[in-house]
Amino acid sequence: MFGAIIVAGVPSVESTRTDGTGAANLNFNDGQPPFACMDLLGRSVVARLADDWKRNGASAVSVFVPQRFASNANLWTHAAERLSEYQRQGLSPVLIAQVGAYTEIDAVQMCGVHEESGESITRAFHGGSPLNLWNVTPERFPERESLFDALCAARSADYQVRGYVNRLETPQDVRSLVIESLGRRCHFRPKGYEHKPGIWMGGGAQVERSARVVAPAFIGRGVRIADECLITRGTNIECDSRVDFGTAVEDSSVLSGSYVGIGLDLSHSLVDGDTLFNLRHNVKLRISDPFVMRRNNAHGTNNQLPSDFETGEMILSSTEELAK
Amino acid sequence: MLTSGPVVVMQVPEMLNVREVHSFMQELGPLLESNRPRIVLDCSQVRSMESAGVEMLLRCLEEVLKRDGDLKLAALSPEAEVILELMRVARVFESFQTCEDAVHSFHAIPADAIPQDTAWYTNVFSELGLLKQAS
Repeated sequence: MFGAIIVAGVPSVESTRTDGTGAANLNFNDGQPPFACMDLLGRSVVARLADDWKRNGASAVSVFVPQRFASNANLWTHAAERLSEYQRQGLSPVLIAQVGAYTEIDAVQMCGVHEESGESITRAFHGGSPLNLWNVTPERFPERESLFDALCAARSADYQVRGYVNRLETPQDVRSLVIESLGRRCHFRPKGYEHKPGIWMGGGAQVERSARVVAPAFIGRGVRIADECLITRGTNIECDSRVDFGTAVEDSSVLSGSYVGIGLDLSHSLVDGDTLFNLRHNVKLRISDPFVMRRNNAHGTNNQLPSDFETGEMILSSTEELAK
Repeated sequence: MLTSGPVVVMQVPEMLNVREVHSFMQELGPLLESNRPRIVLDCSQVRSMESAGVEMLLRCLEEVLKRDGDLKLAALSPEAEVILELMRVARVFESFQTCEDAVHSFHAIPADAIPQDTAWYTNVFSELGLLKQAS
């Protein structure tokens, strides 16, 4: 029996990549929620992690997702309060993750390694660099002003993650997660049904008869693909998006609630509303022409808690709710 | 005989929206109406381009081609390149890495300016005639 706290946050300095690609500097969504909060292949990384820990025996999972993404500090204050609450309830150990990254870990195994180590904190590592994922014994946890600083600074045991890890810091990371998932190279599975081999569809997706979808591809729930469109090469169109007449979308991710206009050639890109990031040219553009790209009116905003979060025993909270 | 004037290089504004298109066209308009206009548009400063900007480029190309001239793009910024590819018009324009390259491309001798030799088949037929005469 263990508790879990998930803080959805932009990666801190601690977790920036060390592979020398410099890709971490390509900030797609300044001031926006991290990619982990956005639907990818039908469900956000945050929601998937919460589901996974729940399935693996977590008695309670608290998720802290800000409504308007501004500062991590506030979230960590609430996370610290929740950790104290868990301690009062006798929940131990507690898994704490700043998401961030998509990490495939065996929660039960990590709890076992933590107990064997005898340390108050165990931190996950992947390929020599630390992940923002800890296992904590609340009663032995050092008192600090900031929970995040305490987690980073305190002496900890190491837990090597053997599974798949994607730091999800850049649009390139998002594309590689989608490609690897559609190619079944990780456990991140599309949420929906397999309409044809390699073509995944969410509920209520509408693809017009003359449109062509070539595998591998993902068409999310409530998506509309108009006539004469072509969707191909590992493209994912997330929920409530719309691709209009005659447009070709190739090797691209169209995030939830985006509208892609008529007769376009969208390739090697990531689109979120009116923002386009082209991976080939490494350039981010804001499209001011609403006939070309825009936030789909039917959807509203992407900066929300995933709509299909299961409640039940799971404790869901956001900074705004907590502030009330 | 070629009667075209010099190659004109023009800087495309940073934001190619409806308003900028209007003022840019006021500058470019008279050039388009000249005889065999030869224009290079320097796109190095372009940071954003609306569909009005893309339409303007197409309209300009149409005008210069009507007058037997040409319009070439040079030093495309990544933003301009992405927009032109997105709008499916990148292939319509001849584009060059630098303005110098684009200007030099106009000075390459055009095919219609090369004096054409007598066609190969005329020689073949005349030789056939000689053979016939000999036989």
